[in-house]
Amino acid sequence: MIRWWLLLLCVPSILAAQDPRLARLDPETRQIVAALVDSAQRAGLPVEPLVQRALEGVAKGAPGTRITAAVRRLAQDLGSARLALGESASAPELEAGAAALRAGATTDVLRRLHGVRRPPLTMALAVMADLVTGGVPADSAAAAVLALAPTARDADLIEFRRAVERDIALGASPATAATVRVNAGARTASPGRP
Amino acid sequence: MGIEEVETSDADLVRRVRAGETAAYGGLVSRYRDRLGRYARHMIGNREDAEEALQDAFVRGYRSLARCDDPARFGAWLYGILVNRCRTTGARAARRRRLFVHDEAALNGKHASRPDAAERTEFEDAVERALARLSAEHREAFLLKHVEDLEYEQIAHLTGAGVSALKMRVKRAREQLQMLLREAEHV
Amino acid sequence: MFEDRDEALDRVVRHLRRPVAIDPTFDRRVMAAIETPRRRTIAPWLAIAAVVATVFIGRAWLTGAGTASAFRFELVAPQAASVSLVGDFNDWDPHRTPMTARGGRTAGTWTAVLPLAPGRYRYAFLVDGAEWRADPRAPAAQDDDFGTPSSVLTVERS
Repeated sequence: MIRWWLLLLCVPSILAAQDPRLARLDPETRQIVAALVDSAQRAGLPVEPLVQRALEGVAKGAPGTRITAAVRRLAQDLGSARLALGESASAPELEAGAAALRAGATTDVLRRLHGVRRPPLTMALAVMADLVTGGVPADSAAAAVLALAPTARDADLIEFRRAVERDIALGASPATAATVRVNAGARTASPGRP
Repeated sequence: MGIEEVETSDADLVRRVRAGETAAYGGLVSRYRDRLGRYARHMIGNREDAEEALQDAFVRGYRSLARCDDPARFGAWLYGILVNRCRTTGARAARRRRLFVHDEAALNGKHASRPDAAERTEFEDAVERALARLSAEHREAFLLKHVEDLEYEQIAHLTGAGVSALKMRVKRAREQLQMLLREAEHV
Repeated sequence: MFEDRDEALDRVVRHLRRPVAIDPTFDRRVMAAIETPRRRTIAPWLAIAAVVATVFIGRAWLTGAGTASAFRFELVAPQAASVSLVGDFNDWDPHRTPMTARGGRTAGTWTAVLPLAPGRYRYAFLVDGAEWRADPRAPAAQDDDFGTPSSVLTVERS
């Protein structure tokens, strides 16, 4: 009887640990993902991105092994991002930082960005990641964002990414597109929407 | 395709107005008054007529809110109404100016409430005069492109003109402004 | 700003972009005007279907500082019978955010509007419940070996 009551007392913590959304995963995958989520939570990392990554995998019918691999890698990247960006980094900053790391930026680049730009760094990190997925080599993307970061506004960084994408679409080599744009940006007054 | 940022609260306000809460329209007025007012002021050239066109646009916007099929883009939709109102009011104001000749710049300089009245410079007067000497079409294209910072496709939607015609208007407007400002320097 | 970097025109534009003074009673005047009853009554909101005059302009100026933002997602898929917007913002649940097809000239354009808090979101379009498509106008998300592409949207702090 006493044991039964003890079990009842434990229920809320079990429920808290097991996100009900993870019920969509097969039992084996769910167990691994729940453990990854749990340890991320204890480490003070944002867990919502991990849950969402798992749900993305389920929605797309990915095999469990790929889902757990993706979630594990993201948890590691979030941890590395926090080491580089500091304890005060917000969840969106960590998520964008993880994306930048996954894209090929180094933790040193994240640290330097943290040193030259006032928070939030979300957009700068996101632009770095997005440039790389757009084809810009990781070191060129990092160099470009670091060069712009001290003074550019978030809107300028977005505009920069769009301009690079346009240049690439028009046939420029991705590395050149980013470099040329940075150099052009140094001379040109910012477009400054009102 | 793609993503565009819009204003949630615009959609909410429009829905509330449509549901009968007229006062919610005040939120939309205060949100767009300054931005649209600036366009009207530069387009029409004097403050009274500009405010009349602006008020007219807001009132018409309210009365035809049913036709705003995308409440989240209320601002863009209202902009289209204002561009039209400025054309009408501007033309009327121009006719009146032909009847009662007066110096717009001097008239506007008289407004005590104008915050920058004291610091008005020759440059500002010259800009105002140069802008007034452009044709309405050229002024409209120049303001929408360079002051309101819209893309040509967006201006085409607002004005009904083709993109290539608009580019030509903007180019002409710039050439004329440069010429008029150079002239002003040498007067 | 200008291709030929004309200093004088740049200065003109800077001047013209400054705020202009508007009569402090302006808002009250507008509200008084709209609250004045008109003799002709308008058939309320029945005209919605009659006139469609959407203009697609400006992004930045539509978003005032400090207000929540929503995002319009669009996909052109004329052959599709249904399209869902699926992503981090709706737990990747294909039933949560069905997109709406716009009629008329823009037939085949599927849209959905979602309010989003600042953050970074992965998403994709699910066409006819089976085909995943990335957003052609958004940056691609990094591949996670899930077999189909996703896009990514970063929302700034407003």
